[in-house]
Amino acid sequence: MSDATTGATTTGTAKQHLVMEHLVSLTYRDALPPSLDRFVDRLLEGHIVGHRCPSCSRVYVPPRGYCPMCVVPTAADHEVEVSDRGILTGFTVITPIAYYGQQETEPFVHASVRLDGADTTLVGVEITGVPHDELRMGLRVKAVWKPESERSTEGISSRGWGGVSSVIDSFEPTGEPDAPPDEYRDHVF
Amino acid sequence: MAATGTATDIAVVGWAQTPAVRRSPSTEVQLLVPTITDAIAMAGLDRREIGFTCSGSCDYLTGGPFAFVQNLEASGAWPPIAESHVEMDGAWALYEAWVRLQHGDIDTALVFSSGKSSASEPMELWPHQLDPYYLAPLGVDPASLAGLQARALLDAGKATERDFAEVVARSRRNGRANPNAQLTGEADVDALLAEPYLREPLRRHDLPPIGDGAAALVLARGARARELCARPAWIRGIDHRIEPHQPGMRDLTTSTSAALAARKAGYDGGPLDLAELHAPFSPQEIVLRQSLGLPEGTEVNPSGGALAANVVMVAGLARVIEAAARIVDGGADRALAHATNGQLLQHNLVCVLEGE
Repeated sequence: MSDATTGATTTGTAKQHLVMEHLVSLTYRDALPPSLDRFVDRLLEGHIVGHRCPSCSRVYVPPRGYCPMCVVPTAADHEVEVSDRGILTGFTVITPIAYYGQQETEPFVHASVRLDGADTTLVGVEITGVPHDELRMGLRVKAVWKPESERSTEGISSRGWGGVSSVIDSFEPTGEPDAPPDEYRDHVF
Repeated sequence: MAATGTATDIAVVGWAQTPAVRRSPSTEVQLLVPTITDAIAMAGLDRREIGFTCSGSCDYLTGGPFAFVQNLEASGAWPPIAESHVEMDGAWALYEAWVRLQHGDIDTALVFSSGKSSASEPMELWPHQLDPYYLAPLGVDPASLAGLQARALLDAGKATERDFAEVVARSRRNGRANPNAQLTGEADVDALLAEPYLREPLRRHDLPPIGDGAAALVLARGARARELCARPAWIRGIDHRIEPHQPGMRDLTTSTSAALAARKAGYDGGPLDLAELHAPFSPQEIVLRQSLGLPEGTEVNPSGGALAANVVMVAGLARVIEAAARIVDGGADRALAHATNGQLLQHNLVCVLEGE
């Protein structure tokens, strides 16, 4: 606790406010469910897997353990491997401001990529090897994998955020012609 | 049907629960997928027929902001559905669904809730729901607060430590017949009393088990309820009342809000076949029994109650499910279900159910 002087009365007497610091920290243990645990194991080996819904055939990457459209569980026997190449379906270029904890200093990309064989997108991936003003939906990209010795599970979470950046550095253009809008129109996020 | 202001023709017609376990490998939404599917199937409905959906959960448990949005995927939210969420036990989601059904334009509703306490440390997490000036900085955990309540009860001569142990022994014994219970078995009262204190005058067994799990329930009204269920569990009254947040501002040996909620739900002290009380700490069952004025001989917590399974955010809704199940299977004609939120029975909900 400490005293802080802020403001004054009309008579010029300083007002005293008691300031109490109360720092909160909570401990969470984010145990990955079997579906995501398997995804991580394969990712570290350089393979990307998902689950194919037995009802509608949509492929979810990473696997969720269920299909939200059909509301049916999915498990190991629904596993399929998808490509590490795909389509840039949406992006934003972020100019970092220096808020507390910000580690980026230069503009960077936050993009969604639909991998070939998947019906969902990997979200929040970096795109490199192309000037920011040439980024566009439909751009064909491929994964830039970290060397095996540098891969980790850091940041991979079952809680709806976190991505694959501890294993795949970024995606870069393949040089193939752009994909037609039909292939990404329903997958911009 | 009813001439009064509140409809009394809304009934429980389906439900499902997962077993409560100390550490589930599944996420909340993965727990909910089969649970919701089973509840809707029991009611004989297709999920697209559901008129309104309401869920209860707490993002702080897993530390995942907006986890409740992902949970919604388990209800099949495409094509878009009408839904709402409460950051409360699922019993309050039930209350909102019941209110929504009062409009009369829909005849079915889905209620679900989930909780995963295994991702966090409850004794570290829960002090943060206390007021940030006086109590939270002290780090007063739920067991310590419950110890103060137990002490007040002993000092007032309203219960003995043996009474606490008897609640525990009966709860665990009853839990043996409940496939979803987590902590069950024969317990000798004298042996329980020989255990050391954890937070005097409470022993470890006076505390609820920490568990992960999910539950879902389907409501239907009037003719639709009769069509979906041979013997619906009619909600004759439901109400909830809350007391001050600061435990020092109330008499901890009684529950004014539970008594008021019961009266407003139409419970007048008349005969009940059973009462399912959400009392996470053993002394709280005694506070509730006395405050609600349950008649002698009322069967209390035949499911084992919260001392046998206490999935946070689910345990209150589970009380309604357990009471409704006994009515639907013909084992009871009139039951009272109670749920609580907050610390030391701060907020209480009472639901009176009947068969016909």
